[in-house]
Parts: sequence; C-alpha cells; structure tokens
Amino acid sequence: MIYLDSAATTFQKPAAVQRAVVQAMRTMSSPGRGGYAAAQQADELLFRCRSAVAELFSVPSGEQVVFTMNATHGLNIAIKSLVRPGGRVVVSGYEHNAVTRPLHALGAEVIVAAAPLFSPQETLAAFERALAHEPDAVICTHVSNVFGDILPIERIAQLCRGANVPLIIDASQSAGSLPLDFSTLAPAFLAMPGHKGLYGPQGTGLLLCGSDALPLIEGGTGSESLCQSMPDFLPDRLEAGTHNVPGIAGLEAGIAFVRAQRPERILHHSRALIRRAGEGLSKIPNVHGYLSPDAALQAGVLSFTVDGLSPEEAAEALAARGIALRAGLHCAPFAHKTAGTLPDGTVRLSVSAFHRESEIDSFLSSLRVIAAGQAKN
Amino acid sequence: MDYYLFAARSVTHAQRMARLLSDAGISSKIRRAGAAVTERGCGYTLEIPRRHASRAMQACRVSGVLPVKVLLVSDDRMQEVAL
Repeated sequence: MIYLDSAATTFQKPAAVQRAVVQAMRTMSSPGRGGYAAAQQADELLFRCRSAVAELFSVPSGEQVVFTMNATHGLNIAIKSLVRPGGRVVVSGYEHNAVTRPLHALGAEVIVAAAPLFSPQETLAAFERALAHEPDAVICTHVSNVFGDILPIERIAQLCRGANVPLIIDASQSAGSLPLDFSTLAPAFLAMPGHKGLYGPQGTGLLLCGSDALPLIEGGTGSESLCQSMPDFLPDRLEAGTHNVPGIAGLEAGIAFVRAQRPERILHHSRALIRRAGEGLSKIPNVHGYLSPDAALQAGVLSFTVDGLSPEEAAEALAARGIALRAGLHCAPFAHKTAGTLPDGTVRLSVSAFHRESEIDSFLSSLRVIAAGQAKN
Repeated sequence: MDYYLFAARSVTHAQRMARLLSDAGISSKIRRAGAAVTERGCGYTLEIPRRHASRAMQACRVSGVLPVKVLLVSDDRMQEVAL
C-alpha cells in the first residue's frame, strides 16, 4: 500500500514510537496515583513529555500542557470554556467539524471570515471585518485539512490581541511542521493531535492552555481528593481519570523524532512532494488539482477532482491499485463551501516525513491510467 | 533526621519544583502526601534536607514556582513554617 492519508493520521511512525509504547506497557502503571517505582516511572514520563512539548512550542510552563485524546477533545474543552450558549464566534472559512459541531451544539452565532483559497490578505481583511461584531471568541485553523492552505495565524492572533478577543487555534495539520510559538501567538488555547505531525499513536492529543478552562469531564486526578470540585489548577483540572500512558510514551518518542528531524525540514520535504504531485496532476487531462501558486502558502495537503468520477469513485479506483487517499468532505463542509467544492468534495492527498518521490510518481501513474479510462468513457 | 517538605498542588507542580531545584544544584525527593499534609486529600511534596531549605526556597522564589506551604518534620513532629 502507498499510504497518502497523513492528514488523517501519520500511519508510518518512527520505530522508536512502537518501542516506547511497548516499554510503557511493560513498566509503567498509573501516573499521579502512587509512590512506588512503576507509578513514578509513569509520572516521570508525563513530565518529560510535557516539558518536551513546552520547549517545542515555547509554552512558559509544562503545567499549561494538557494531555487529551485527540485535537477534537482539546477543541471541545477550549470552545466550551470560552463560548457561552448562544454566544457569538468568528471562525475561518476552513474549519473542521471538530470546531463547528461544538459551536452548533452551543447554539452559537457563527460568523465566517471566509476568503478564497491561498489568499492571506483577503483572509486578514475578512477577520478584521468579522472582529467588528465583537465576538466572544475567534477560532481558526492554522492549516486547512482539505486544501493545505496555511492561514496567516500570526497576523490573525495579532488582530485578536488588538481587539482583546480570545483566540483558539486548531493546529491539527501544522503541529510538527510549521512554526508555532505559543508565547508569541498568546492564544487562549491551542489544540493539536498527537498522532499526526507529532508522529505519536492514535488516541493522543494536546491542549496548550493560556486561559482559564472548564473541565469537560470530572473525576479522579490523584490530587485534592477530599474536595468534590475539580482542582482549580492545571493540568489536573482537565485531566480526570487514568492517562493514556502507552500513548504518551509513544508521543514523547514522536516528538523526539520531530525535534531531531526539525519541523522546518519536514515542512520543506512535504512541500516538495506536494509541488511534485500538484505539478504532475496539472499534466493529466480531466484532473483538477488545488495547488497554491505560491508554494509558501501550502503545507503537506493537496486536493483534486477527476472529471466524470465522484471523489469516492476516484479514491476507490486508486485504492484498487494500492493507493490510500481520502475522498469526500473530510469532516470539513465549511472548507468545501468556501472553496466551492460542495456537495461532492474532493480527493485528498497528504504526506509526511516518511514519503518518497517515488510514491508520488506511482500515485500519478495510477491516476493517469484511471483518468484516461474515464476519458474513453 | 530533620527535613523540610515543600507541599505541591499536583505531581506536575512537584516535578517542576524538583527540576528547578536540581538546576540549582539542590537534590530533592518527590513523595506522596496524605491529608495530614495537604488538608485537601492526596497530594505531593518535595523532601528537602534541612541544610538546603533556605537556598531551595530562594530558588523557588526566583523562578516563581512556589510551594503551597512548607512543613518542618522533626522527631516525627510536623509543623508548618515560614522560610
């Protein structure tokens, strides 16, 4: 199989990640609960991982680093901490259902700062206009999970600070490859998965907290056990129940891999592959790729469509040739609405540090055959 | 032997204090603490030798990572103290 669905999860992981998961299962018990060696090893793992995250993203303290199940979990905590029922929120035109469904559940008034793909100036202007509506919060993805469009998050954060509006950043597609400086951006919250660009196992995620937060679930934390209220300090306030220790061990190993490889190098590699794929697509009749004219505005994600085939049919034909991509709406109907690709959506190709040019070339060869067959029909 | 306990609000808080003390050349030991220490149920403390206590408190002040309270344990008696 040639796996090209890294925006869903990076299927290929560093070998050290698997080793760390197994080692944790063999040697670690429940963290924050006991004074014996197996519990202390788990304690130390969590602290090391929090510290590594804090260093990678310039978070002032490891206590602001909260372990979650995934980015959706973190986004739910963030949104439900800042947005009251019926409140007003500004979002980008490229948000995932992980953002828009919680807002819908809250009955929030959602103002979409929509702008065409790969147009940072228009995006900023849209946010500037939307902020005039005095929202309770702004929520913005850093990179579109459908198109790889990099939103100008530093400038958007600056606008939010100027308007004194809390910002939630969804870094699902950028953490591990694009620069993310928590101290400079100063968001209320920054959510990310552990299993995508940080190369950890599925079931891991991180929420970086710059604001007071409300627990999504209540329960044991190993601290202040006499009190029936959740602790008022981080990370315990948001970490009820036993941690995913094997997952966090794998995440620590994944983060070590990212730091060793360096995020900018991973981004450079991903971009080169996306350019190769996009330029290859442009040479195939009846295929339409969404490649940014400016390489600097696109991360490791590329969408395309094939005339005469639905995205699902195209992905199915590719799967039959051993190529794994995702088709449809990618849980992001707002993004497809903004880009004009509703109702069918697109086929999405996404890469990681492990991909090679030869895999992109194999994908292009297969698509060429599929598109040619379609042209004959 | 006399020693001090720096009470922490969580294991993560205890670990942060332990690391900053280690960076300052002061060894400490993270220990579980019961309600008798925390008054709020389970918690964590740092055990610090008496001779290092003042320097440890100074390092905590400089970094802004302060213990919730400080206890002196002496001859099996424990009392809250100011450092």
